[in-house]
Amino acid sequence: MDLRLSDRELAFRDRLRAWLADVLPTLPPPPDRDDWPARRRYDTAWQRLLFEAGYAGVDWPAEHGGLGASPTEQLIFLEETARARAPYVGANFVGLLHAGPTLIVEGTDEQRARHLPRILRGEEVWCQGFSEPDAGSDLASLRTGAVRDGDHYVVNGRKVWTSHAEVADYCELLVRTDPGAPRHQGITWLILPMDTPGVQVRPLRTVVGSSEFSELVLDDVRVPVANRVGAENDGWRVAMVTFSFERGTAFIGDVIESRNILAELAAVARATPGRDGGTLWDDAALRRDAGRLAAEVTGLWALIQKNVSEASAGMIPVQGASVFKLRFTENRQRIADLAAHVLGRAALAMGDPAGGRVVEDRVNTLSFTIAAGTSQIQKNILAERALGLPKEPRWT
Amino acid sequence: MDLTMSADQRDLRAGLRDYLQGTWTPDRLRAAAETPALDRGDWSGLAGLGVFGLTVPEAAGGMGLGLVDAAIVFEELGRALVPGPLVATFLAAGPVPGADDGGAVVTSLDLRDPVLVAEHLDSATHVVAVGDDGLHLWPAEALVAEPAPAPLDPLTPVSRVKTPPVAGERIGSAADAAGWRLRGAVLTSALQVGVAQGALDLAVRYAGERTQFGRVIGSFQAVKHLLADSLVRVDLARAAVWAAALTVDDPEAGDPGEAASAAKVLADDAASQGGRCCVQVHGGMGFTWEVLAHLYLKRAWLQETCFGQADEHARHLAEAL
Repeated sequence: MDLRLSDRELAFRDRLRAWLADVLPTLPPPPDRDDWPARRRYDTAWQRLLFEAGYAGVDWPAEHGGLGASPTEQLIFLEETARARAPYVGANFVGLLHAGPTLIVEGTDEQRARHLPRILRGEEVWCQGFSEPDAGSDLASLRTGAVRDGDHYVVNGRKVWTSHAEVADYCELLVRTDPGAPRHQGITWLILPMDTPGVQVRPLRTVVGSSEFSELVLDDVRVPVANRVGAENDGWRVAMVTFSFERGTAFIGDVIESRNILAELAAVARATPGRDGGTLWDDAALRRDAGRLAAEVTGLWALIQKNVSEASAGMIPVQGASVFKLRFTENRQRIADLAAHVLGRAALAMGDPAGGRVVEDRVNTLSFTIAAGTSQIQKNILAERALGLPKEPRWT
Repeated sequence: MDLTMSADQRDLRAGLRDYLQGTWTPDRLRAAAETPALDRGDWSGLAGLGVFGLTVPEAAGGMGLGLVDAAIVFEELGRALVPGPLVATFLAAGPVPGADDGGAVVTSLDLRDPVLVAEHLDSATHVVAVGDDGLHLWPAEALVAEPAPAPLDPLTPVSRVKTPPVAGERIGSAADAAGWRLRGAVLTSALQVGVAQGALDLAVRYAGERTQFGRVIGSFQAVKHLLADSLVRVDLARAAVWAAALTVDDPEAGDPGEAASAAKVLADDAASQGGRCCVQVHGGMGFTWEVLAHLYLKRAWLQETCFGQADEHARHLAEAL
């Protein structure tokens, strides 16, 4: 075991650092969070810059236009871009982290040729149509139906929590093609062009106050059979392939951000007078709480290094991914709580320069323990798959 | 960068695990809880496996391995609830003759502690006192201390030190004392990870056997989530302990003090919460002397007090923010 980077990895890191130092000062200021067209332009322009510099699709295989980087190089990429506060993957998330990798594994040559280069160049934005109003944690109960009509499927139903739907070009869509089959065996994975007649996007306002995602209403939407990924009724397996890309790396940059917020919290506490003289930072209980959270952040980074090492060794760190997600999300929420306590009544307005970012983070991170598998589902996964406890009685 | 065990490390762990399973059976642990004096045969057995001389250079008769190998070994010792002043004897291998080969049983005192309590004093041959100015060595019989009639951890006799001796043989500098504390924190954390894992294994086994309401209790989410929480804590702590051990051996990889403090905070939490979980999952049986659950929790509580308590390490980490 060792924690050192190889010469090759160090060279990769140094090249990336130099490039980030050159390019980041040239970026325009980030757009307003409610201006979706501007956000798409900003995020895809960043993706184009990555593409031109050879950093698009870091984890994608080289034969599909990606960088084909090793797991450790992927970690370096995520760590360095987060440290340099480079733009987040944003509107490119589903294309780069879900749909693209799924097409690489499961798509036809035509589907790959049509979509992969455009995703890498930042010319194509994707969204996800998996969850439904009545199919959340129990995704396999989804009811959006697709009926074959010649060389098309006719789709009717509703999807929710669809991020970037207003500005997306395509949607990765799960539909039920065989209502009579056992639940997991009647599902199909489709590529839905968002400009198809009958697709209606209804933005949902989140607790942050902005519209981070939407509801999709699908009314007699005709999707070509050629847009099917994998076989008809084999979509559940394809979706599991999609999910396998989601768990593990999605939050790596956020751990860096957790450390940053802790450091800001300490800086604010050191500069804020206490009621009994001195500063807030003189409070040993505050320092103890901040230190415990810092220990967790350090442990989370070690866990990332362990997960990445396992991936490098050809293992799939399923247990490590669930452990990481559970602990990272809870830790971040507690960091935001502690930061808000330090700010006190300065934490009553979002966007306020004093602490508005933290206030917004405190609200926004409520989603962390819900999205991509709730904490309770993650605990079921660990108990059943890692500890070997009997399955919860379920529909099959 | 590689945070997975090598084939050699897996072999090291498997060999030790086999030996400990044969030696520290549940019945043996129950017996030792009644008569906790150390058996010198056991001590020599551990020394024979190389436990105390793991990081002693090969030229000096040790195995020349790294602190992370020692962390793997100490996790197993913790998991098996092996009694004895394991960390102090390990750290004394080198400066104290006989520590590496089982000839000496070395216990230690940290003079910073406001209350001085020595573990296993009656079985010990030597005491190392860790002061800010350096390391001092006394023969065990030089220490005036009063044994506690009912130690919290039944396998770990403790004696309250009345008056610390004034002088001993100086065997290390202030820097050596700092290194002793640093490595001791990492190894104690490794023991805690082992205690947490052992408690989790016991609780999972029981949850898979015990039936109530017509189902094994491990099929209820309320029980599953308790156990999953323990698993999360132990996995996080183990990664932190490995990273800390590697950082102590290779300070270019990070700040050894911060890495060790993070490991102790997380490992103490994993062990004490894991021990509680084990008692809770056993229900009423978990409150009996017969079931081993309490031994894990009590060992966790004991080790929380060794090499800096979690709050102290947490405040140390806060200073770096």
